[in-house]
Amino acid sequence: MATPLTLTPGRRPDGTALLTVAGEVDMSNTDVLAAALDSTAGRLVLDLTAVDYLDSAGLSVLFSHADRIELIANPLLIPVLTVSGLADLTTIHTPEPGTPPAPRL
Amino acid sequence: MWMAWGPRLTFFCNAAYRRDTLGRKYPWALGRSANEVWAEIWDDIGPRIDTVLTTGKATWDEALLLFLERSGYPEETYHTFSYSPLRDDAGAVVGMLCVVSEETERVIGQRRMATLRDLGSDPSVVRTEQEMLAFAGRQLGRNPRDLPFTLTYLFRDDGSARLANATGVPAGHPAAPATLPADGPGGVWPTAAPARGESVLMELDGVPFAGLPTGDWPEPPTQALMVPLLQQGGAPHGFLVAALNRYRPLEDTYRGFVELAAGHVAAGIASARSYQAQQRRAEELAELDRAKTAFFSNISHEFRTPLTLIMGPLEELRGRLAGADEEVREELEVVRRNGLRLNKLVNTLLDFSRIEAGRMQAHYELVDLAAVTAELASVFRSAVERAGLGFEVDCPALPEPVHIDRDMWEKVVLNLLSNALKFTFDGSIRVRVHAEDAHAVVTVADTGIGVPAEEVPRLFERFHRIENARARSNEGSGIGLALVKELVGLHGGTITADSTEGEGTVFTIRLPFGSAHLPADAVAPAVGTADAVSTSADPYVQEAMRWLPADDTAATAGETTAAPSPDASTGPASVLPAPAHVLIADDNADMREYLTRLLRGAGYRVSAVNDGREALRAVRTDAPDMVVSDVMMPRMDGLELVAALRADPRTASVPVLLLSARAGQEASIEGLESGADDYLVKPFAAAELLARVRANVELARLRNHHARWRTALVDSLQEAFFVCDEEGAVVEINAAFTDILGYGVEGLPYQPVHPWWPDAATDPDGHRQVADAFEGLLREGQGRYTVPVTHRDGHRLWISVNFNYAQDPDTGRRVTVGTFRDVTAEHYAIQRESALAALSLRLTEATSLPEALAGALSELKDLWRARRVLAAVFDHGDEPTLTATGTPPAWQQLPAERRRFLADLRHRPLLTPTSDHTGAGVLLEHPDGPLALWIDLGDQRPFTGEDELLLSLLAGHLAQGLVRTHQIDQQRETAITLQRAILGPSRLPDGFAVRYEPATRPLEVGGDWYDTVELPDGRIGIVVGDCVGRGLEAAAVMGQLRSACRALLLQDASPARTLTALDHFAATISGARCTTVFCGVLDPGTGHLTYSSAGHPPGILALPDGTTRLLEDGRSVPLAVRPGRTRQEGECTIPARATLLLYTDGLVERRRRPLRAGIDQAGEAVQEGRGVAVDDLATQVMDRMTPAGGYDDDVALLLYRHPAPLEVSFPAESSQLAPVRQALRSWLDQCQLPSQTAQNVLVAAGEACANAIEHGHRHAPGDTVRLRAEVSADDLRLTVVDTGHWKTPRPEANAHRGRGVTLMRAMMRQVTITPTPSGTTVDMYTRIA
Repeated sequence: MATPLTLTPGRRPDGTALLTVAGEVDMSNTDVLAAALDSTAGRLVLDLTAVDYLDSAGLSVLFSHADRIELIANPLLIPVLTVSGLADLTTIHTPEPGTPPAPRL
Repeated sequence: MWMAWGPRLTFFCNAAYRRDTLGRKYPWALGRSANEVWAEIWDDIGPRIDTVLTTGKATWDEALLLFLERSGYPEETYHTFSYSPLRDDAGAVVGMLCVVSEETERVIGQRRMATLRDLGSDPSVVRTEQEMLAFAGRQLGRNPRDLPFTLTYLFRDDGSARLANATGVPAGHPAAPATLPADGPGGVWPTAAPARGESVLMELDGVPFAGLPTGDWPEPPTQALMVPLLQQGGAPHGFLVAALNRYRPLEDTYRGFVELAAGHVAAGIASARSYQAQQRRAEELAELDRAKTAFFSNISHEFRTPLTLIMGPLEELRGRLAGADEEVREELEVVRRNGLRLNKLVNTLLDFSRIEAGRMQAHYELVDLAAVTAELASVFRSAVERAGLGFEVDCPALPEPVHIDRDMWEKVVLNLLSNALKFTFDGSIRVRVHAEDAHAVVTVADTGIGVPAEEVPRLFERFHRIENARARSNEGSGIGLALVKELVGLHGGTITADSTEGEGTVFTIRLPFGSAHLPADAVAPAVGTADAVSTSADPYVQEAMRWLPADDTAATAGETTAAPSPDASTGPASVLPAPAHVLIADDNADMREYLTRLLRGAGYRVSAVNDGREALRAVRTDAPDMVVSDVMMPRMDGLELVAALRADPRTASVPVLLLSARAGQEASIEGLESGADDYLVKPFAAAELLARVRANVELARLRNHHARWRTALVDSLQEAFFVCDEEGAVVEINAAFTDILGYGVEGLPYQPVHPWWPDAATDPDGHRQVADAFEGLLREGQGRYTVPVTHRDGHRLWISVNFNYAQDPDTGRRVTVGTFRDVTAEHYAIQRESALAALSLRLTEATSLPEALAGALSELKDLWRARRVLAAVFDHGDEPTLTATGTPPAWQQLPAERRRFLADLRHRPLLTPTSDHTGAGVLLEHPDGPLALWIDLGDQRPFTGEDELLLSLLAGHLAQGLVRTHQIDQQRETAITLQRAILGPSRLPDGFAVRYEPATRPLEVGGDWYDTVELPDGRIGIVVGDCVGRGLEAAAVMGQLRSACRALLLQDASPARTLTALDHFAATISGARCTTVFCGVLDPGTGHLTYSSAGHPPGILALPDGTTRLLEDGRSVPLAVRPGRTRQEGECTIPARATLLLYTDGLVERRRRPLRAGIDQAGEAVQEGRGVAVDDLATQVMDRMTPAGGYDDDVALLLYRHPAPLEVSFPAESSQLAPVRQALRSWLDQCQLPSQTAQNVLVAAGEACANAIEHGHRHAPGDTVRLRAEVSADDLRLTVVDTGHWKTPRPEANAHRGRGVTLMRAMMRQVTITPTPSGTTVDMYTRIA
């Protein structure tokens, strides 16, 4: 059984594609994330505000799309993104104040 | 717990009950009615349940014996439980709840421990085997539950066994025959296996086992265990038959208990047997020694004086009655002969006494042994011929001279000849001397009656006489041959006897050539020719003559001194009491011989020397009646000799006749002026010489009558006698002085410091004692001292000296006259007593075997003032374990000679000391094997018979002490093991660590305990308590309180109410009053702790910030002091990463120190280790708090660190990652870490788990992965273990996998990955900021 993960596609006000992710990303559910990313093309903003755990399997999915994505990430995830080097390849935003914290599953 | 619900009393239980109590009845029991489930004990519990259901009142039973059939057989079990009613909503009783804890192991463990302790508690160390067995039997008999009956059989020499003790079985029962055959059929119990040291489990079926006693049980035992009573290094003493409790399985602890019990019995037997053997041996040695010493001292002291006073007057009487009638003279002759005989006997005994005491004054000189022996033999010729026997003397010259002491040799030969003559009636006596190898061989053979073969070995025993042997005389003490053997031995020679009954006897003496076998200081330079036979031969010949048919015995009486002339007026011998002794000094051999012949012919006893110096020495040694000296001699001439003699008060009165070739008045005047008594010019007529000699001798005798009496009396004194001049020089001594100290008159005067003073360098103590006494002697008029002195041969003596001032009547000078006695024996007897006492004290004080041995060695070292004492225990192979005073050397570092000596000691008999010039050794038994002991005296001090006796006694004592200490050691181990088995829960909840340590001395377990109880709601009860007192009694009280407290907590998880209830319980148990208890209930999730203290020292909480808090709320008085008073509770929340310490006062209480200081010290100890894993911390605290000599009270200690470590095991599937993460996240919350730290740990753990799933178990999905996380104050450790192999990371092939390890290393401070064939361990660690 895979770890629950919610993926909600949408658009940014500027028209950029947006994928909002909620839950924990680990090796049991990276294939779901990978499929969702593969189904989009062009620039994509990935909102990880509601993700409080991301492991190296999840990172590798993000790496394969690094050249076309931007990330919005919870500060807790920043060390992982930095250490892995993903922060050097993509732009990372922190969530705007007032954004509700990620629900814990 | 379990409950019975509804009208059928349907049975329900929780998991703990299922696991611990239900056994094989699960799952069969579920849903059945309680009376079906517990049918076998329904008689016990049914009435109780009825009571609960009908009255609604709860029941309470403690450690109730129940026979459960949960393992396929009725089993002896003990349970503490309470039944309480369960009510429905309407309040009606509809069922009951049982809260129960099983106590089988505790109850049985306590029972067995009590038996073992009682076995080991034998208060009297010394007892016979019989008493020991009876004692052991009483103890075994007091445990009829574990040992329904026992039989103790001991092996006899023929392999059969006898019943030595039985418990629980009546005498004469067929299962307990009084004896068992060595082996084979017919024996009830097989003896072969235990004889080989093996245990046997016997099924008790068959005829002899019908109607067996049942012990404490309803049914007789069905099995018995036969255990050998093992003996160290030998076949078993016997075996113990222990009937087994049929209601318990024979598991390891039961078997171990029986073996330990047998071990106690075996140790007791070994101890009793070895004690008796050693005691007997030591007593025999001491008795023998006492008897000998007493006998010889009595002889010497009591006989000499009266003999002197008989023989002196007798000689005078003979002289005076020379003209009396024949009858009177014959009777006087009888008196004189028997006086001489008695004197000879006393002298022989004294010789023995001297040999024994090492005081025989030997002067070995090189002589022509053949000539000397031939001459001695010739003395007997007339007696032998008169007896009608042939006398063959075959003494050709030997290739080299032999060292002998003339006096001793005379005694040897004369004794043998006298013996031969006494037992030979036909045939001949033959004396032969020849050389063989490097020995001179002397044989004395006769054709006498011979000796029966069985008597030959005893020929040389003292006082041994062959009964009913035909002899020329029945006189004899049976001591002559024994003396001969001793004397030959002193010469380094051997004597053997060959005899055939009816044919004759041959004695063969072998003496080595050379002098290497003799003490160097007793060897004199070569003297040359054989001298005349001394007068000592006289009594032998006279005695022999008396055995022969009556003849003219008087004619032969003076054989060696030449027969007195028939005309009494011409010879001096007839008027003088004894032949006068004349000393001749002349350098011309012809003149010497002429004078000798002349004077001897006239009846004098004559000795001759070469010059003045020799003459002076001879006079000082044995003052003659007269000196005849030439004037012209080398080295010292006659005039110088006279001057020297006159200058010495002891020799001033010896008359001197000078002979000179110088004629003329002047020469004569010169000679007389020098002090000579007479002067004769050569050539002189024989008659002239004899006349002058006779005149001078008679004159001198008259003059010296009083002086001679004084000398005779002084010499016969049993005490040593001496005279000191004003400067302290010893100028006169008597024979006893020489006997005791070895210094003779020839060395006079002895100037201070006297040569017998102990050496100032090696024995400063002894030297000072003598110096003090000597100063007293010079300064004070009189006094008495007991001081150590050194015999001339180097051995140590103790003498008791008395002295007094006197005035020399001749010179008017003040002199000191003293006497002394040899008190060595008394001194050593006292020393022995105190040495034994000191050794005993050392052995009692020791708390371990090595300590006992080391203490004993140092005692021995002090006693003998030894350089070193060394003990080699041959506990394995040929290389022993060494113990020594000072640092023990390695075996291989010892000189090869010493190693060989120690190894050889092993083959000597036990407790028989052996010594050489550097020290002494002895073999004794050590519990680990034979112990060779070496006392290194270093210098050339002799090790005397006294020393050997003392060493033998001490070694025996030491062996006993070591066995005892060894037993105590074993008992200590046993006691602690059992106490720990009774203590504490078998499984500790996570996060806890506990310790128990008994007091060091006196070694005893006590009443301290700790306990943890897992409560039904997930909380944990924590108890630390301390019963008053020590020993088994306190341990029993402790066991009951512990069980009660457990049960109460299970029923009601409130510390205050638990202690309140425990107050009531404790009030009913004697010895439980004033017990202190800390009782708490901990929520391991939140760290919330409620607690209550009954007079117990406060708990200590070490916080992660380095501060310390004490749990001082909820305090009240100790148990049962105010029963009924409600107790209060305190509460606190243990912060994350804090450590709680609970303890008993033994940890912190020290004499002369406030309790608070100890508590603070304990707090610091915990704080210091707040970063250490909790189990290591427990060890660290116990070590740090140990006082210098070990704990003098017992200590219980309990530690808890919050939160407890997290342990998760999960199957290697990716779906498990989320739940594991969830568990870790909530544990990290409990740890109250900064959120980023917690996130980092979470990521690192996630990566490690993912690796384990993806790689470790790629071939075996579903295998178990284990994660453990443990936190301390400042750091956190995380471990993930799988059972598979990881791939070597290859980031280029699989980019994100390499990233996983990188992430782990980035998130944690340290990461260690350890792959092994059986799996991979990831160990990660981080600091908490």
